[in-house]
Amino acid sequence: MRLLNILVIAALILAASFVYKIKFDSTLQAERGAKLRGELRHERNAIARLRAEWAKLDAPARIEGLAQRHLALQPVKSVQFGTFDKLPPRPAPPADLVGAMLKGAAAETTGSVPTPRARR
Amino acid sequence: MPVETRWQRLVRSLLYGRGVDRSVKAKARLGLAILAFVGIYGVIALRLVVFAEQSEGHGARRSVSQDAVATARPDIVDRNGQILATDIKSPSLFAEPRKLIDPDEAEEKLTAVMPDLDTKELLSRLSSKRGFIWLKREITPKQEHEIHRLGIPGVGFLTENKRVYPNGPTVSQVIGLVNIDNQGIAGIEKWVDGQGLAALHMAGLATDRLQRPVQLSLDLRAQFALRDELVKAREKFKAKASAGLILNVNTGEVVALVSEPDYDPNNPREANDPTRINRMTTGVYEMGSTFKVLTVAMALDSGRATLRSTFDASHSLHYGRFTIHDYEPMHRALTVPEIFTYSSNIGAARMALAVGVQGHKAFLKKMGQLDRLRTELPESAEPLVPKHWGELNTVTIAFGHGLSVAPLQAAMATAATVNGGFLIPPTFLKRSEAEAKHLAKRVLKSHTSLDMRYLLRLNAEKGTGTFANVEGFYVGGKTGTAEKVINGRYAKHKLLTDFMAVLPADKPKYLVLIMLDEPQPVKGTHGFATAGWNAGPTAGKVIARVAPLLDLEPRFDLPKAAQLILARATESR
Repeated sequence: MRLLNILVIAALILAASFVYKIKFDSTLQAERGAKLRGELRHERNAIARLRAEWAKLDAPARIEGLAQRHLALQPVKSVQFGTFDKLPPRPAPPADLVGAMLKGAAAETTGSVPTPRARR
Repeated sequence: MPVETRWQRLVRSLLYGRGVDRSVKAKARLGLAILAFVGIYGVIALRLVVFAEQSEGHGARRSVSQDAVATARPDIVDRNGQILATDIKSPSLFAEPRKLIDPDEAEEKLTAVMPDLDTKELLSRLSSKRGFIWLKREITPKQEHEIHRLGIPGVGFLTENKRVYPNGPTVSQVIGLVNIDNQGIAGIEKWVDGQGLAALHMAGLATDRLQRPVQLSLDLRAQFALRDELVKAREKFKAKASAGLILNVNTGEVVALVSEPDYDPNNPREANDPTRINRMTTGVYEMGSTFKVLTVAMALDSGRATLRSTFDASHSLHYGRFTIHDYEPMHRALTVPEIFTYSSNIGAARMALAVGVQGHKAFLKKMGQLDRLRTELPESAEPLVPKHWGELNTVTIAFGHGLSVAPLQAAMATAATVNGGFLIPPTFLKRSEAEAKHLAKRVLKSHTSLDMRYLLRLNAEKGTGTFANVEGFYVGGKTGTAEKVINGRYAKHKLLTDFMAVLPADKPKYLVLIMLDEPQPVKGTHGFATAGWNAGPTAGKVIARVAPLLDLEPRFDLPKAAQLILARATESR
């Protein structure tokens, strides 16, 4: 009988401390959750603000103003558009590659020779 | 068994009756007590579970109430996803004077962080006995941080939504604006409220998490280019106003719509100025000769005329005290293409008369010109239709006088004459071609539509629309010049000029409408202020800039309109 009582008391203490731990953990988790939620809201607001700023910086009116001030570009004319099938055929590679390279090297004292990496 | 006194025995027999075993009874009672306790603890445990489940969303609910201080709105984006309107959150500083411990100290600390606050006023407000006061709306995050660190009790922050329009006036006429409480009061913003957002606001549930962005049919790049050219045109021709739109003829989507002067929605005070109305939907105008497109389409569709028919335009047309002249009289009979390219009023009038008054009226009704056109924009105007529609009305309406319609309405009907004969209600929301087909109503034979494409192209090649002809895009178009009605009379020198362009004319995708209000003759126009000299060239500039943005490829191998029609004539035989 005494043994049983001791066992029960031990179980009680164990259970109580276990419940306390769970409670403590859950409080901790809840706090963490609230903090993360707050951070999320903060980030979301920051994203909204940055998006608005991006849209403002990206506005065509501003871009055109900058382009006119800093670039010498002209509006594209319709005749300046082309398609790939209108390109002339690719010229045939010169027959004597090494000779051409040597000649080029002889004529030019400085500068590098383009490496014909595409074909070996 | 212990010895009982007689008294005890008496009590026991009275209470339990004679011959009852007490130990059995005690066991039963013990069992009952155990059951009761198990029951109570079971209920407590169950309650705990229920409580735990309910309180799961507790934190979330709190943040919702914080978000909903000012009503959130969905973003508005253009057809490519570029932001046209968005919400940003900004903290606002408030105080609860009743909870303040020391107003003087609070005032000192606050003015140290925000020197722009008025010291005396702040102190008097903090010392008042009110429950809640705003100290400053929309403070910076840095200020928020510093004030937070001061740790003054009774001072706090609330997050508010603020609507921003990053593109300023560029899209103002379409998207409209909101008032201080973030409720839409014009344009698409008002329409969004009508779609159920207003009810959400009332319930205080409109948080940013619930809302999908509203995607418009507008293309921001095209919109900007159109506005830029219209602003330049208004300055160049000293016009009172300029307006324009680009319409996708196959889907009814409005790709760009500008009515200038416009306003900056970030500065709502400008918006109430009556000269800054949206002329494309809210104004009604006599469209002038661009209406001949509809007259010719009607005559061709009815079968009363073909491209080879001729109509007598040798004399001015007399109607009572009215005489119909041509701007450049030819004094001979004209074929249908000639009537169109010379923009002959007499010819157009005779074509309409050939169809008859009733037929004319029914046709315009079918084309949606006699009823108010409703789009997503809340602002719309009723066309001005003559009460008694006689022959004279038919004669004048044939060349665009005597019937005032909203320009967007006229553009819708003109689009129907070139897109194969389908009347598609215009929209400001993104729409696919399949959806448009579902809404489309056939109003013309496809054959008529082919003829109209040819006529419009011909007019851009050698008629009044030559200045709008941009090489490579195969533009077709028609000019229109109307004298404005001032005090019930046509004013000779107050003109409204417009230009309807379709491109590419062999298989139209877009319609460009340019309108100028009271343009003046300027250097380079040889004293003219008619559409061919101002609205036409403006349309040309717009097309040259916008067509590449709208994925139209310039082509240079296209036949002349005359060859096109010859080829088709032999084909059909």
